[in-house]
Amino acid sequence: MDDKVLTKGFDLKGLFEIEAYLQNGGYKAVEKALLGMTPSAVLEEVKKASLRGRGGAGFPAGVKWSFVPQNVDTPKYLCVNADEGEPGTFKDRYIMSHNPHLLLEGAIIASYAVGIHLALIYIRGEYEAVARRLENAITQAGERGYLGKNILGTGFDLEIIVHRGAGAYICGEETALLESIEGKRAYPRLKPPFPASVGLFQSPTVINNVETLSNVPFIILNGGEWFVEKGLPKDGGTRIFGVSGMVKKPGIYELPLGTNLRKIIFEYAGGMREGKELKAVIPGGMSAPVLKGDEIDLAMDFDSLARANSMLGSAAIIVIDKETPIFEVLKTVTRFYAHESCGQCTPCRIGTSWIDKIVQRIGQGKGEEDDLDTIIRLASNILGKTLCPLGDAAALPILSLCRKFRGELEGYLPR
Amino acid sequence: MVKIFIDDKAIEVKEGLTVLQAAKANGISIPHYCYHPAFAPEGSCRMCLVEIEGQPKLDLACSTIAKEGLKVRTRSPKVIEARKGVLEFYLAEHPLDCPICDKSGECLLQDYYEQFGLFNGQFKDPKEKREKRIEIGRKLLLDRERCILCTRCVRFLNRITRTEDAGIISRGVHAEISIYETELIENNYAGNLVDLCPVGAITDLDFRFKARVWFLEKKESICPHCSRGCNIFIDFHPGFPRVKMSQRVCRIRPRDNEHINFYWICDFGRYNYAYLDEQRHHKILMEREGHGLGLSREKTEIMLAEKMKGLISKEKAARIAVILNTRLTNEELFLADKIFREKLHLENIFVADPLPGKGDGFLLTEERTPNRRALAEIGIPASAPDLKTLAEKTDFLLVFGSSLTEAWSMDAIKSAFDKIRTKVLLTTHLSSLDPLVDIIIPTPLIAEKSGSLTNVEGRVQVFSPALEFRADGLPEWQLLLDLADEMKIDPDYFGKLRSLESIRRQMAKEIPFFNR
Repeated sequence: MDDKVLTKGFDLKGLFEIEAYLQNGGYKAVEKALLGMTPSAVLEEVKKASLRGRGGAGFPAGVKWSFVPQNVDTPKYLCVNADEGEPGTFKDRYIMSHNPHLLLEGAIIASYAVGIHLALIYIRGEYEAVARRLENAITQAGERGYLGKNILGTGFDLEIIVHRGAGAYICGEETALLESIEGKRAYPRLKPPFPASVGLFQSPTVINNVETLSNVPFIILNGGEWFVEKGLPKDGGTRIFGVSGMVKKPGIYELPLGTNLRKIIFEYAGGMREGKELKAVIPGGMSAPVLKGDEIDLAMDFDSLARANSMLGSAAIIVIDKETPIFEVLKTVTRFYAHESCGQCTPCRIGTSWIDKIVQRIGQGKGEEDDLDTIIRLASNILGKTLCPLGDAAALPILSLCRKFRGELEGYLPR
Repeated sequence: MVKIFIDDKAIEVKEGLTVLQAAKANGISIPHYCYHPAFAPEGSCRMCLVEIEGQPKLDLACSTIAKEGLKVRTRSPKVIEARKGVLEFYLAEHPLDCPICDKSGECLLQDYYEQFGLFNGQFKDPKEKREKRIEIGRKLLLDRERCILCTRCVRFLNRITRTEDAGIISRGVHAEISIYETELIENNYAGNLVDLCPVGAITDLDFRFKARVWFLEKKESICPHCSRGCNIFIDFHPGFPRVKMSQRVCRIRPRDNEHINFYWICDFGRYNYAYLDEQRHHKILMEREGHGLGLSREKTEIMLAEKMKGLISKEKAARIAVILNTRLTNEELFLADKIFREKLHLENIFVADPLPGKGDGFLLTEERTPNRRALAEIGIPASAPDLKTLAEKTDFLLVFGSSLTEAWSMDAIKSAFDKIRTKVLLTTHLSSLDPLVDIIIPTPLIAEKSGSLTNVEGRVQVFSPALEFRADGLPEWQLLLDLADEMKIDPDYFGKLRSLESIRRQMAKEIPFFNR
């Protein structure tokens, strides 16, 4: 698989130590950017690469960076979103544990491009071992002069701090993440203002996903055009697909954006487990609307999936087999969102809990005839009416499960 | 100014206003729970969703800035459907215990259901059980089942009192308002949480089960308890004709005034209202051999005028003294100053006010009367009564109010008063001064009269009676005018001052301060 970029060195022993990283060409991108390029040249290159956010929303990273106002008195911050809470998603953990220096390198270059001197990696609390590995990498990078004061003698300063998350799904929402870093309850903020202008501690802030930033060093080394060629014109580079569920070889697969979903499941992930038949696929983390088994001849990129009324999200592919009752999937989904709704805005707070109460009741054999219609109505009333994307993230999969598998779900209700 | 369109109606609004504010300023109401004019938009209640042309999703009226040319729909099918949907979520987990809820009748859940809901309940599952009676302040109860988590209370305590007493605990549908386990909300503004709460989640122990709000009459007034002059509503129950229950005041609420008290009043002013109904004088009394003898207003006025005239006609300086106070209105202080100082040239004009208290740095001032500032503006020296002078140089004493008892012992007052032949007390309430005087004339409270007051910042506020003055007495300004008339003091001058308006016009003419 020649297409690998990010995960290329993952099989190298001890890549997380700086010696091994340097031997394999590590920090060359930082040297190139800081010693040979102006911040605006770096920004242009990243823009040219059509690097879209890997956290889920797919916002072009270069454009995001360019929104940060340059003439401000306050400091500017970079927050690395390593909260990775989307069920089915485990790619960032792999990057950070196998190749923490790659993320640091990306963070250094992004900070240089935007003029940031403090970056925070907000890592989910459960990733304690990974957090320590990151901290170790930060110390090593500091010792070699890639972090701290006057990096590579350029006069550019950057400090990176690892901030352990507060243990809620909502902390991965970028503005809730900011609140959490500020020591507050992780409630998403009302937008606008957007974090690029008013972010952490009221200052301009860039928030990027781990995978997004980890692509940056390669863009700097090989150029934006090379990156686009690796993927699609509007969606450059590769993507780390995390495949889980009833496949023979679950795991992460780094493939070009636009790779066919069926191919990912049946070729790369080895196909369905012995004796299992494909029923459904959730293509982009639990928030993504489900695809039926016959809907998976799809290019895995943001736009193709949007056209198929689903989303690429975090590119976490959950494969569901015929023996798994869709009701169990629905129950898991509703319980998760009811549990993780932060409670700030009402449609999400009450809506997710109400739907979950109905689903749990159906599970106890006490379903009523109109329950499915009620669930669809309630999910539609959540959709588009909440303060942050969590409401939609809950409503979309619920709606798709209820609509696409209505026949199967009706079997749980009295006739 | 920018021009926007709300429901096809073109309106001009100040730049920087939100759609909700712009709509409100033009008489278009958009429902909301979390938004409150005292705070920045919160955006969590989702009730104010409106359609904005060019936007794929509904937008918040509370946080969207009204930009030139913006086209807003507040009553489109999409908006109405969304509102209904959001409201359904609120009511799903609401206990619907309106029959025993104090907020019933002025609750935004009820109001919006009437306006935008009217659906049948579809919620078939058990509602969350929560605590329904948590004491969060000396007079505040929190009912977590009724709470809709608008967080107005949290924001009030964070941003207005800055005491940070409350917050939210737990997540999702389990999220609840909480205070610290060991501490109650104890500040002088805690009572505002009750008004601020759009539903019946925070209720007032003082008002608990006292009256259904739809029986209350709500009248505007000014708080008389300090010199801030906060604008208030006096809510009173008019009483029932067939059962034995007479009119009684049930609560005091703040009335918005962006120049003075914003949306708040202090608890000192809020809970201090029993005086409106209790311990009042009902008729004019004259002390006769240990008994109170009823007198008519006319007779009393003639008698007082005669006594004063008798003293004035003598050669020596009139042995008349007056004790004023600053619960008197601008007009009353002006008339008193005119008559006693300027026309009668009395030397002994004093002011006896309640003792000052502690200010709180926000609204409550040290002075505990509403019109102390007017003394200086009118030019009345704030000289405290000198009991020795009173005893030695007075035959006729006119006392406004009973605050004398606060600064002097009863013994001292009694021994001075014993030496004065005639003592007349104009007062609102029964007090220990009553047995020491010869004539008692009931007067109305600020809540019962008309006039104007000058607050500590020099803001003059005109007010009308909120409550009926039901005693057989008269307001001080009326008595002063009657005395001037009876005593034939400068009829040309006082003849013109027949109404409070004419007195105010005269004040404006003579005192530049009042000519604003």
